[in-house]
Amino acid sequence: MTTLAPAHPRIDWSGMVLALLLTLVIVGPLLVVATWAFTEVWRYPNIIPQQFGFRFWGQTLGRPDVWNALILSLRLSTVVTLLSALICLPAAYAFARMTFPGRDILFFSFLAGHAFPKFGLLVAIAAIFLQLDLIGTFWGVVLIQLVGTLMFMIWIPVAAFQAVDRRMEEAARDVGAGPLRVFWSITLPQAGPTIAAALLLSFVGTFYETEGAWLIGAPGIRTMPILMISYINNQMVIQYGAVLSVLLWVPSFIALMFARRIIGGGAFARGFGG
Amino acid sequence: MSEIVERAALPLAQTATSRRPIGLLLVAMPVLLVIWLVIWPAINAISRTVWRTDVNGNAGFDLSSYAFFFSDTYSLGNLAVTLWTTLVCAVLLLVISLPIALYLRFSRGRLPAYVQALAILPMFVPSIILAFAFIRVLGPNGMLDILLNALGLPKIRTPYLTPWGPVIGLVWDNTPLTVLILLSGLGGVANQAIEAARDVGANAIRVFWHIILPRISNSILVALSFSVLGIFSSFTLPYLLGPASPEMLGPFMQRTLRDVQDPIGAMTQAVVAFGFCILFGLFYVRSVARNRGNR
Repeated sequence: MTTLAPAHPRIDWSGMVLALLLTLVIVGPLLVVATWAFTEVWRYPNIIPQQFGFRFWGQTLGRPDVWNALILSLRLSTVVTLLSALICLPAAYAFARMTFPGRDILFFSFLAGHAFPKFGLLVAIAAIFLQLDLIGTFWGVVLIQLVGTLMFMIWIPVAAFQAVDRRMEEAARDVGAGPLRVFWSITLPQAGPTIAAALLLSFVGTFYETEGAWLIGAPGIRTMPILMISYINNQMVIQYGAVLSVLLWVPSFIALMFARRIIGGGAFARGFGG
Repeated sequence: MSEIVERAALPLAQTATSRRPIGLLLVAMPVLLVIWLVIWPAINAISRTVWRTDVNGNAGFDLSSYAFFFSDTYSLGNLAVTLWTTLVCAVLLLVISLPIALYLRFSRGRLPAYVQALAILPMFVPSIILAFAFIRVLGPNGMLDILLNALGLPKIRTPYLTPWGPVIGLVWDNTPLTVLILLSGLGGVANQAIEAARDVGANAIRVFWHIILPRISNSILVALSFSVLGIFSSFTLPYLLGPASPEMLGPFMQRTLRDVQDPIGAMTQAVVAFGFCILFGLFYVRSVARNRGNR
């Protein structure tokens, strides 16, 4: 706060200290993991690995449990995202464009899940799934992950549909375009990028969702994060976990940065009540 | 509640045109899903733990599962470590995030952009990767031990598998959103107010205490509520980084449900967690709804 609009340029000490500390505690650990992924031999107490190499990439990618988990996770995320889009996008359109009884209360009902401590709610859901025999099944995990995507997949597209320029739609209608044509040619191109970002967020979020998958899916459903948990708990070869971390993290990071650019950092915080 | 809905109704109503019940049909699916998988489980957990069938098959009001939870030293120990972790995390989050947010609010340029990018980065790191990185850095013979050893210093007492393990992980994980929420609150503090206070001779601490703090107290509460809700029942990080006993409520509930196969016990623990978080939950939901409505 001492750096309020300096009249003359001076050295930004507080900024340098913050940048240094954050680099150490945030980038540091990630760099260590990345280093492990390209390490063949690293014995304590050497500061850098004795031998770098790609040997463990081949070994990790040759493991059937990795491929099974990856395929399962991709299948789960695709199904959840598609289902979520199927039920949420029409609802978002209705919330943005139509009036109907109880609309506002229903709109805010999606907040209900955020009023509870999350894992407590998951346990309460799991207790119901126990009676329905959904524990340990693919569709049980789909359902629990679907609930997690609802708020994002409704609130972000609602904002997108509301931001569409209504005058352009009316103009198109005036020159004789039908409602579907207007939706396809005017509304969708304008709302599209934001909706795509919401889809991407829900796909990546589902891919990394750990708690629901572990609570509902174990032991039959082994997604990628759950495989990582077992590598962390009882795998002697450190590099397997490191390779998986690098492999999984880089694409999701790129995807999320892309999504964030479209949605905007400010909206991100506001969505969380800031 | 009606106040929120009224305020929220405005921006929504302005964009709406057609008044047809087909809207209800379109929103029915996700709403039913919320009722079935959010509201019903919560009600079900409460009702099944207070209205139980005894050995003779008679159903009745019965609080014995709660009586057990609050008399069992193991459960109470887990509750205590959960409360301790939540409190320590909340304090640490504020102490760490507030200076970062203040710095970002009042600086322009490349260095602040770099600081902001770093402060937000953990949001894009899944907890399992964080847990793995934690063990490789702070675990036994981790990177920190390697560096200390190279400097000729003694090894650290590793926080891995101690109550401090989850604390460090959770603070790392929750810093980005806390910073973003505080920053969004600081955006509402006018530069003129601060300059005016400066002009009459207030120093930085007094400006912070008398001008900035009162204006962002709501954002601080929102940030705290959000992190308390997340931390109180967190699972992945305490499960991977924390001690086996006492354990936080998250892993405790998971074990009670899946390993001990005691759904009533697990639901009792869940309801206890709901009870401890209810004020934070309501406050958080109210703030988001109000925020959203004002847009």
